[in-house]
Amino acid sequence: MAGLARRSGIWLAALGVVLVLPWIFSSGFAITTLNQMGVLIIFSLAYNMLLGQGGMLSFGHAVYFGLAGYSVAHVLNGIGAGTLPYVPVSLLPLVGGLVGLLFGIPIGFVSTRRAGTVFAMISLGFAEMMTALTLILVVFFNGEEGVQTDRWAGPEPFGITYGPDVQVYYLIAAWCLLATLAMYALTRTPFGRMTNAVRDNPERVQFVGYSTHRVRWLAFVLSSFFAGMAGALHALNVEHVGFETVGVGQSGLVLFMVWIGGARAFIGPIFGAVVIAFLNSNLSGITEAWLLYLGIIFMTVVMFAQGGLSGLILMHEPIWKTDLKLFRPMVLPYAAGIGATIVACLGAIGLIELIYFMSTKSTRDTGTSLYTVPVDAATALPWLVCAGVAALGAAACRRAYRPMAASYADAIETVKAGAAR
Amino acid sequence: MTAQALELRNLRKSFGKTEIIRGVELAIEKGRIHAVIGPNGAGKSTLYNLITGLHPVTSGRILLNGADITDKPPYEIARRGLSRSFQVTNIFPRMSVLENIRCAMLWDLGYRYSFWHFVGRRRDLAERCGEIMEQIGLASRRDVPAGLLSYSDQRALEIAITLASGADVILLDEPTAGMSRSETEQAVALIRKISQGRTLVIVEHDMGVVFDLAETISVLVYGEIIASGPPAEIRANPAVREAYLGPEAA
Repeated sequence: MAGLARRSGIWLAALGVVLVLPWIFSSGFAITTLNQMGVLIIFSLAYNMLLGQGGMLSFGHAVYFGLAGYSVAHVLNGIGAGTLPYVPVSLLPLVGGLVGLLFGIPIGFVSTRRAGTVFAMISLGFAEMMTALTLILVVFFNGEEGVQTDRWAGPEPFGITYGPDVQVYYLIAAWCLLATLAMYALTRTPFGRMTNAVRDNPERVQFVGYSTHRVRWLAFVLSSFFAGMAGALHALNVEHVGFETVGVGQSGLVLFMVWIGGARAFIGPIFGAVVIAFLNSNLSGITEAWLLYLGIIFMTVVMFAQGGLSGLILMHEPIWKTDLKLFRPMVLPYAAGIGATIVACLGAIGLIELIYFMSTKSTRDTGTSLYTVPVDAATALPWLVCAGVAALGAAACRRAYRPMAASYADAIETVKAGAAR
Repeated sequence: MTAQALELRNLRKSFGKTEIIRGVELAIEKGRIHAVIGPNGAGKSTLYNLITGLHPVTSGRILLNGADITDKPPYEIARRGLSRSFQVTNIFPRMSVLENIRCAMLWDLGYRYSFWHFVGRRRDLAERCGEIMEQIGLASRRDVPAGLLSYSDQRALEIAITLASGADVILLDEPTAGMSRSETEQAVALIRKISQGRTLVIVEHDMGVVFDLAETISVLVYGEIIASGPPAEIRANPAVREAYLGPEAA
């Protein structure tokens, strides 16, 4: 009983957080962001079944997300018009999942014979094909306009209309929890373990009696199911599905999220989805250069933190599992390193904003504001200050990173020495 | 039922114009330890790759317990009870020792592609994993990622994976390669232990190991079996001496 409580503790905590979130962040804007997070969490976890669990790099996983989104939009419209039998709106994510599954079966069959480059190229091909189809199959995709829908369709069981955003929030949250739980459970089944085995060493897998093609195919199909579920929730959330949801752009976004969050840990994609959804809704309002920042963040993670955000956190796991006191000598070096990074970033961001402002604003008005300080971009002062801060920060980083790394290495050494004893 | 665990009939394999395996005839009796020796480039690895389905054969037949397994895919052959180890350690580096071994027994215990069982809660898996780890001597390292094991432990794990599937015909590819004297002795003891109730085929360079373990030895030279017989007979065979030591020694 105690074991059960401990094992389910983290899920109960997640349930608690999910229940109270809309009470803390109750503005319409915050709810919209939270909804987007829920959708993207399912999508990126589904994607990580391929990348992190199965070692398959896909450039086209939005195909199942988008197709399910379109299908659910049509189903909703059909219900609204009375041409389709009533399906409770709450169950439409399952319909989306089935659509994803249906497309995942044949496409997965042809693309999972090989992993690696061949798989990646085929996935890219399918994504490009779907983008082209959105303009050709107008009946289904409705071209560049996309498909509009209204989630307020049919009867209203228990007064749930899905009119207010907060009702959609709880719908997304419930499915998000269920899907996360299901995908986590899958990692602990024979299928899940063999997926890892195929990622690690496909050759050996064959000699223990498994067809690598079958294992990858099954992973692909199940992943498409969850991607479809996310797509359905996306359609319900924004009540519109556009051509951009099936294409390479959306496929790239999910790859970004998973990589930034970290593909190696189950929780990684959740981090990634939360961070990207947050930046997407907040940063895009503050700066027009936000895609540039997203690109820089992605590149930084790829180059310096291969395990993503979750990797950065989990690399400290042996330390906190041994003794929290080991963190004490690390506090100062870490604070110095992080502080220096922030200073360097502030300077660099200032420069980027100024450049971006000058290159996009054609008006003679050169007045703008930087960090809420009004500045005139035509004068040298803001440029000099930003460059100075950036240089100062960079110099501080050079100084601070080595002690930071050393303090980490020291702590890990202590842990290892303790384990050996 | 036949008394042969494995039978090769006029087996041939060419890569391009080069014929590597040139009409091999070999019968391996059930329950024996059978070594295949031969100089470098004789085709021993190719022979293994043909038997286990990694490469398609050019002509000839391969029978496992009397059933034709020629050109079946590797996983099909593995399911029929033939398991192999590799010369270059071939494990799942990011998974723990326990998981490495467990993966190898899932099919045999009937789990197939199941996604409705939890591997951590199955008693049959836990029991057989425990047995294998005990037998191989890896029990104390069960949660260590396989990639972090020492070389000789990785070699032991290699054999553990090979055994875990419950196969009754085991092909070992240079099980003592790269081992020190004492490690080799341990490996030989291990191999003798696991040979109980199984048919073992061993390719090995270390002649000490071969003559120590094998009940029957076949000599493969340039893709042909030039001699087969008990160790004493092979040791005395002039053709074998010539192939190994050069004509002047014969």
